[in-house]
Amino acid sequence: MTSAGTPGGTSGERRAWGWVTSLRKGGTTPWAAWTGEAEARGRVLPGAQQLELLRRLNEAGRPEPQLVRRVLEASAPGRGRPDLELVGAVDPGPFGPRPVDPADLPDDELVRVATSVLAEDLAATALPDHADPARRGPGRPPWRRRFRLVGDPWLADAARHALAERGRHPGGRGATVLVLADDLATMLTDAWRSRVLGEGAPPWRDWLDDAVSRDRVPPRVDVLRALRTWSDRVGCDRVRLVLDPAALPRLAGTRRPLPPAPALPADGAELARRTAPVLGLLALPERRARLLREALLPRLVAAGGPPLGVPAELEGWVHDRAEWVRREVLAAGYPVVGDVDRLLPRVREGAREPSDAGVLDLAVRLLLAGASQDHQRGSEDR
Amino acid sequence: MSAKVLLHVGTPKTGTSYVQDVLFRNQRLLAEHGILYPADRFDAHFLAALDLMRLPWGGLETEAVGAWDRLAERVREHRGTAIVSHEILATASRSQVGRALESLGHGSGTEVHLVLSVRDLVRQIPAEWQENVKHRSTLSYAAFLEQVRDPARESRIATWFWGVQEIPDILDRWGHDLPPERVHLVTVPPPGGAPELLWQRFSRVFGLGDVDLDLHAERANPSLGVPETALLRRVNRAANKVVEPAHYRPLVRELLAHQTLSRRIRSPRLALPPAVHPWAQQLAAAWSEEVARRGYDVVGDLADLAGAPPLSRWSDPDRPAEKQVAGAAVDAIKALLLENVRLREEEARLHGELDEARRALDRSYLRPSYRLREKLVRRLQGGRAGRGALAVYRRLRGRSSRSA
Repeated sequence: MTSAGTPGGTSGERRAWGWVTSLRKGGTTPWAAWTGEAEARGRVLPGAQQLELLRRLNEAGRPEPQLVRRVLEASAPGRGRPDLELVGAVDPGPFGPRPVDPADLPDDELVRVATSVLAEDLAATALPDHADPARRGPGRPPWRRRFRLVGDPWLADAARHALAERGRHPGGRGATVLVLADDLATMLTDAWRSRVLGEGAPPWRDWLDDAVSRDRVPPRVDVLRALRTWSDRVGCDRVRLVLDPAALPRLAGTRRPLPPAPALPADGAELARRTAPVLGLLALPERRARLLREALLPRLVAAGGPPLGVPAELEGWVHDRAEWVRREVLAAGYPVVGDVDRLLPRVREGAREPSDAGVLDLAVRLLLAGASQDHQRGSEDR
Repeated sequence: MSAKVLLHVGTPKTGTSYVQDVLFRNQRLLAEHGILYPADRFDAHFLAALDLMRLPWGGLETEAVGAWDRLAERVREHRGTAIVSHEILATASRSQVGRALESLGHGSGTEVHLVLSVRDLVRQIPAEWQENVKHRSTLSYAAFLEQVRDPARESRIATWFWGVQEIPDILDRWGHDLPPERVHLVTVPPPGGAPELLWQRFSRVFGLGDVDLDLHAERANPSLGVPETALLRRVNRAANKVVEPAHYRPLVRELLAHQTLSRRIRSPRLALPPAVHPWAQQLAAAWSEEVARRGYDVVGDLADLAGAPPLSRWSDPDRPAEKQVAGAAVDAIKALLLENVRLREEEARLHGELDEARRALDRSYLRPSYRLREKLVRRLQGGRAGRGALAVYRRLRGRSSRSA
């Protein structure tokens, strides 16, 4: 291990400390091209992953000194490769992982370190001090239109939140059950994104491949199952399959249009997926859930990027399933609000899966932007 | 500030669960001797380690928020000797080690001692595979060995294994700032020796010789045999996708593995394949040489790291005797049936309580005015004129409440 304890250090160690000093000042020279030397300035050399992430940050902008320090002190969270030594800085000994050229590290390794720092930013975010809108307001008067929102969780959560903001809370006796749905390809991405911000999710392709291999639509977006379950429970006349978002306000007893569900891009969803478990170690579950929805999600949506889509090789399966669902809905005679053909996949541009490079680029941008202005740093309310 | 901190950082499968159980159950007695083992629950130091290393652990990490800082604060507030112990700390990174040592008082006057308990690779390699299987892995033993032996060490299996098992590297990371006389290596005796010998070694290094501790173990991390581990791996393959981690822990790891299958002690034991033996022993010899060279305090004997010679009849867990697996499966089904009986009885009891609660609720649920309004709306909805009146009312109500 390279250390400050070795008097003066070897030439390789001095070169490594020279690179650290350069990076601290905003340098962008790759390790392989670096030649300068400096004295040790710490207990141990930061790992190759941390140093390369800092170099990428320097390439993309001007990180604040505090961010520089935090990146250099960060460790990659979770299981995976340990902090690695720089090749050429130390003699590869018989023990420990092999030293590496940081330029050879996969983006995925740098994302690991970035999620740790990003999770710290989130954990230090001050959230607006208000109760859940769903819990506010007086009781529901008996004449108010009663509804229950089920179906696509991404659409339902967004609609539920927007309606609750207007004092329109779902539930109550005799409520009409509104099964929100969209085309199956979109609903699959919705179900995965909802899990990402909820209990956590495996990578998009793993999750999707699992559903396809079982030839089953995930329960959250299984429209037929929802229609059957609720029809059995409350009667078919109190259930609507809602495929026209514009009709939803009327069905929920309000007139103003509802805001669309957040458009979380493919890389943003993946970054959220990677960051959420780390945040689980920095914030209690209820606060973690709010931080993901109220602090991280808006930043990821604002950062933009291509939406997530279904890989080309699975489009056939998705189309067949969607066609089958459409036929069953028509055959069973469920009341439909909107055009039933909206259940069928539409041609949409987008990413078939998140890319490591895109996720790293996004993480770097978020780290450089830091906590947003209206979110004051303060971990005291953790 | 503690005068002395004994920091036990691993390695797994070296009797750590037993040590932690004894320390946890004897906290009061230890405190009378000025020794602090700060734990309000058995796994307190495990949670602290998850927190320090930001290590998600199947949802358990949600209970770990702030756990390391709380542990370190209690250690700093104590005026005597404190003991911290968890085996997954072995895999901490250099920066995490720096943070841990500083938070425990290193550099501020506290004498920090590092304790690392170690066992030969001949036993550790199969034990690590088994731990993986007990944590939902479906990886075959052969694939596990291949990944562990890959010099690139890039897989999750390999990085974890070497992170918690490579003795010189662990000591590099943890002992970097400590003089060698404050680094203590406790070796696990070879199989077949006196069972109390390992505890005596721990006791010596923790300075517990004068404390009359209750050494009765309530918790341990028992091992499984070949057919039992093979069965568990098949269960993982079949059930992983439908059993969430929160249910897996109590049902599979605790009920099936620890409480049921580990009792089958007559089945063949997991062991290193004879072909892998020379590699493991060569590695162990290099580690022993390095440790001796560094001058650490060895409690036990470095020769313990050599491990036992290969078995004459090795049982391959990837190709177990199916009759033995079937026997293990019957035991597992019986255990699950008994657990089901217990849960059904509990369910029936709770149903009874719930029915009683419902009856009580029905008696006092609705206020008379609410009942009246609801009745009125229902009646209006029953007729055309009523529905029209209701619609007009709702429109008016909507307008007047828009600014609200």
